[in-house]
Amino acid sequence: MTMSREYKVGLFIGATALIIITALFYLAFSKGVFERIHTFTLSSKSGEGFTEGMPVVFSGFNIGNVHALELNDEGVVLIDIKIPDRHVKWIRSDSSFVLYRPLIGSARIIVNTENLKSPSLDPHKMPEVLTVNDINDAIAKIEPVLDRVTEIAENIRVLTRNLSDPKGDFHRVLGNAEKITSNFASKKSLVEMAVSDKESVKAIKESLKKLKDITSNIDRVLVKIDKMADKTDREIYGENGALPQINTILKDLVIKLTKLDKTVDNINSISTDASEGMKDLHILRSDIDDAVKSIDDVAKKLDAIIGSKKAPEFRVP
Amino acid sequence: MKKLLSVIFVLCICACGLLMPVPDWKDKAGGYLEEYKSSFLKGKELSTEPHFAQATREIAAGNDLRLLAVAYLTKYALHTASLECFDDSEFLKIERLEPDAEDMAYYRFLQGNFTAVDASALPARYTGLLKAAASRNAVLAAHEISAIGDPLSRLVAAGVWVNHLPCDEKIIQTAIDTASANGWQRPLWAYLEKLHTCYLEGGDKSRARAIKNRLELLKKEKDQK
Repeated sequence: MTMSREYKVGLFIGATALIIITALFYLAFSKGVFERIHTFTLSSKSGEGFTEGMPVVFSGFNIGNVHALELNDEGVVLIDIKIPDRHVKWIRSDSSFVLYRPLIGSARIIVNTENLKSPSLDPHKMPEVLTVNDINDAIAKIEPVLDRVTEIAENIRVLTRNLSDPKGDFHRVLGNAEKITSNFASKKSLVEMAVSDKESVKAIKESLKKLKDITSNIDRVLVKIDKMADKTDREIYGENGALPQINTILKDLVIKLTKLDKTVDNINSISTDASEGMKDLHILRSDIDDAVKSIDDVAKKLDAIIGSKKAPEFRVP
Repeated sequence: MKKLLSVIFVLCICACGLLMPVPDWKDKAGGYLEEYKSSFLKGKELSTEPHFAQATREIAAGNDLRLLAVAYLTKYALHTASLECFDDSEFLKIERLEPDAEDMAYYRFLQGNFTAVDASALPARYTGLLKAAASRNAVLAAHEISAIGDPLSRLVAAGVWVNHLPCDEKIIQTAIDTASANGWQRPLWAYLEKLHTCYLEGGDKSRARAIKNRLELLKKEKDQK
């Protein structure tokens, strides 16, 4: 079956339109155009910070937005929020709503739900929105710091005023320092400067003079001690002193010890000779024993040959 | 005749060769025992006991208990001859192992147990003294002792009498003469001491003093050596 050109064009246009409509419909559906929207009304004493389209956030996710703001007859701000059906489960009867105004970034309403099993929020109820304002908190924190800075600035001001005051403490300290340096520069003694009393200075001078006398006396005593030491040296180290005599005795002792050493060596050699002689005595003894045995053997042989030897007679006396 | 003489000479030589050789231990034991007797009687105290020990050692090597008993009896007889006591334990041990009538008779004779002595087993030279001792006849005893030919046996007999029977001057004098004649210092001094005691007991002080002086003089001379 052959199709006519017109029929084909008509089919193409119709199919294209259908695809486009389907795509649009799908896009609208996915964007929630056909989704059911729940509206809740919140209340606040002040409408400051609220804006239409402000996001409603649960656990950091955007679940809705502020639809409308209006003021009722009692002066309470009513905030209508719209929550899509898929997110309405986060809004519960015990949910709390907080307006969070960060220092940087846009303000938002944060939903906190402790128990997700609690019943859904009644649309006729109007829970109050609390406010958390980062800017105010920051200002509140900066305020005491600013106070401290103000105090410091005041102190600096006082200090500079004191420094600049000709009758102030700083100028007095400088004056005293000048006096001290002038005293150092003058010919007055250090003691006088320290004591600030001329009589005391005199007493110290006299004491120093006496100390000089004492040192001269000590010098004389030391000279005497030196002389005594010389005398002692002579007595100990002199020609007829103790040490030369001891030296002589020691030399004599060394000579005698050397002689004694020779004597000991001689005694040693004698004892060695004697011990060697003793060894010889043992040899001699064995030689004598051998000789006696030989003689005994010879006598026995002679006895055996001659037969003259009688057997010993054992009888009581 | 010459042939006969040469045959006899050869036979004599052969006879000499056939003699039984004396055992070495016996020969040495006899020599040591003679040395012991000599040194004991002469008072050489240092060499006395070593000689006896060597004699008994040699006899022991020959395993002859009879000779060992004779050696010990000889020792006891020498002590008796010198008027000394003796320790008889060794002889009694030997006698228990190997009893001998002659040795026992001689032992009892030395001990002065005259009634228990078997006269037939005792050496013949002592039978006369045994009879005199039985009758306690000192004159007969002196005679019998003087009659003993061997000087050592004579001293032993005198010792037996003096040790166990009343003191008799004649017997002691015989012993002194015998010891003096042989130069046996140990029994000589013993009998001089005994004579001194006898004189003292008899009240003859002058003779006692003379004997004492004599003995002291002899001892002094010995000490000087």
